[in-house]
Amino acid sequence: MKIDSHESFQRMVDESLAGVISAEKEQSLREHLSTCVPCQQYLSANNRVLSGLSGFSFEVNPNLNAKVLAALTLKAQQVSSTQPGRVPFLRQHNVTFNIWAAFAVALSMSIVGSALVYRMATRLAVPTHFDIAQVQIGVLVFWLLPSFCAAFCLLAAHGQKRGIA
Amino acid sequence: MESDTERIALGLRRKDVAVLETLVGQYQYRLVRYLVFLLGRRDGVDDLVQETWLRVLERGDTYDGRYRFEPWLFRVARNIALDVMRKRPMFSLDSNEDIFRSSPASSEPSPYTLAARTQDAERLAHSLETLDPVFREALMLRFQEDLSLHEISAIVGAPVSTVASRIYRGLAALRPQFEEGRA
Repeated sequence: MKIDSHESFQRMVDESLAGVISAEKEQSLREHLSTCVPCQQYLSANNRVLSGLSGFSFEVNPNLNAKVLAALTLKAQQVSSTQPGRVPFLRQHNVTFNIWAAFAVALSMSIVGSALVYRMATRLAVPTHFDIAQVQIGVLVFWLLPSFCAAFCLLAAHGQKRGIA
Repeated sequence: MESDTERIALGLRRKDVAVLETLVGQYQYRLVRYLVFLLGRRDGVDDLVQETWLRVLERGDTYDGRYRFEPWLFRVARNIALDVMRKRPMFSLDSNEDIFRSSPASSEPSPYTLAARTQDAERLAHSLETLDPVFREALMLRFQEDLSLHEISAIVGAPVSTVASRIYRGLAALRPQFEEGRA
């Protein structure tokens, strides 16, 4: 048998051990191995390498597991105390509640103030040399409207990202 | 019904220490063995093992449970080994895998000599010490961990053809120990 033929079959032995050989090649290799002594020796040497690789037993420090577990427990505690999802519910709730309460007071004051100024438009119109309608429109556009816009923006933001805290 | 890998993924997402404890018990020896084969030394491996598990805790949510856990674990360990080696000033100019090649010889006996339990292993010990670390790693992952070439490829970040080539070349380097006339 030609040397290059042995080489091609020995390459198949390597492929077979690596687990990348096709079924046809595997069959062809089996048939060849049944009659070829050099390729049998090649396979045998490879099998001895594999056997040698499985003949090692590394010592593991008996304290390693305990050391690793202690480090993991400590790290897990640190991680859980810094996770945003683990912030107590009441704490989140309090922050959200305070913000909404402050906003509600501000909006109420804005509405009441606007209503008062709107009703006092006749008195304000004289010293400022504006028409009553101009003062009323000014109150609506520059005072009340921004308050409502701020309210809508806050509601929209709250819908996108639940919880302000 | 949940598979084992899905249970592991769920436990890691929750950062469940009980799940990690089980994993440490199950994979500790294999992790040590992998790192010894990768680095060719025993000293420093325990620290890398601990660092690996801490990284598993931190980044466990990136394991999705669709594939086996071992390749993911070894990938984490390999990256940590690379990071640690890279931080050493004397290795700073080396590219990724050259770092493993330039690992200085320890004054202690070879870890393979100490760990050899059979005659075949004893005969391989010295050759393993001088074998290119990436060949040693490929042989170990294929024949000790029984990983597929695709899994090894994912661990080492190299194409499957490169992994196959490393296995062939590794076998070629060790085979002479057992060829006729030397047995």
